[in-house]
Amino acid sequence: MTAPADPLHDAARLAEIAELGLLTDSADPILADIATRAATALGLPVSLVSVVLDEALHVAAAHGIEPLWLNETLGHPVEWSFCARSVHTREAYVVENARHDPEHRANPLVTEDGVRCYAGVPLISSRGFVLGNLCVVGLEARTFTTGEIEQLRTLADEAVARIEARRPV
Amino acid sequence: MTVTSPEPFRIPGYDFAAPTEREATASLARVFGAERGAAVWSKACADAGVAEGRVTSDDIGRVADALAREGGACAAVGRSIHIRMRTHQRLAAKRAELQPRGMA
Repeated sequence: MTAPADPLHDAARLAEIAELGLLTDSADPILADIATRAATALGLPVSLVSVVLDEALHVAAAHGIEPLWLNETLGHPVEWSFCARSVHTREAYVVENARHDPEHRANPLVTEDGVRCYAGVPLISSRGFVLGNLCVVGLEARTFTTGEIEQLRTLADEAVARIEARRPV
Repeated sequence: MTVTSPEPFRIPGYDFAAPTEREATASLARVFGAERGAAVWSKACADAGVAEGRVTSDDIGRVADALAREGGACAAVGRSIHIRMRTHQRLAAKRAELQPRGMA
C-alpha cells in the first residue's frame, strides 16, 4: 500500500504514534514539565504536547488546561486543530491574531472558546514522522519573536528525546 | 454494506456532531484504503459484538475500543473516534448547563 497523499492519514505515521505510546490518557510527567516550561518561557496560559491523529488532536501532556473542557476530553476534532498544519509543512506555525486569520477566524476554538494566539513547533520522530507539536496558546493577540520560536524548538527537541526513550527495543 | 443514520444533533456554535459509523468507515478507508478499511471495521464490529451497518452512537465507543485493542494505526483511528465522542458529549453537557432550568 502506498502512503496516502495527506500525511494526516498515513498509516505508518499513525502506527509510529501508537508504537511510541502516545495514545494513553495518562500524562507523562516529564512531558507535562516541558509544557509548563514552554508556557512559562513565553508567558502564555496554555501549552500542549499535542499528538495529531487522523481525525482528532490528542493531548499527551499539557499546562494550564484545568479550567477548560479540553481537560476532560484530552483532545478535539482535527479540523479545529492549529497543530495539524505542521503535519503537512513540517515547520513551526504561528497565528498572532486568530480573529483576523482567514484560516481560523471561523474556528470554534476561536469563536466559542476565545483562542487568539498560537505558536507551535513540530515534534518529528527519528523515523521522520511528524507526531504532533509543542505549542503555546493564549487568549489575547500577540506577536512571537524568532527567539521565542527557538525556545519552543529547544523544548520540542527535549520532548522528542523523551518520547523516543519510550520506543520499544 | 449500506450505512444509514438519522440526521445527527450538531452542537450550536461548534457545528459538531457525534461520530457515526459512516464517518468511522470513511476514516478507516482514508488510512488503509477502501478494501482493508472495510475489513478492519468488520472485524472491530465483530470483536465488539455489534451489528455492522447498524452501529449506534451508543455502540460506537465499543467498536473504537476494539480498534484500540488491534494496536498500530487501528488504535490511532479508535482514539480519534473516542476523542470526537468525548468532545461531543462534553460540549453537549456544557450547552445543557447553560440552558435556563425548565427549558428543553
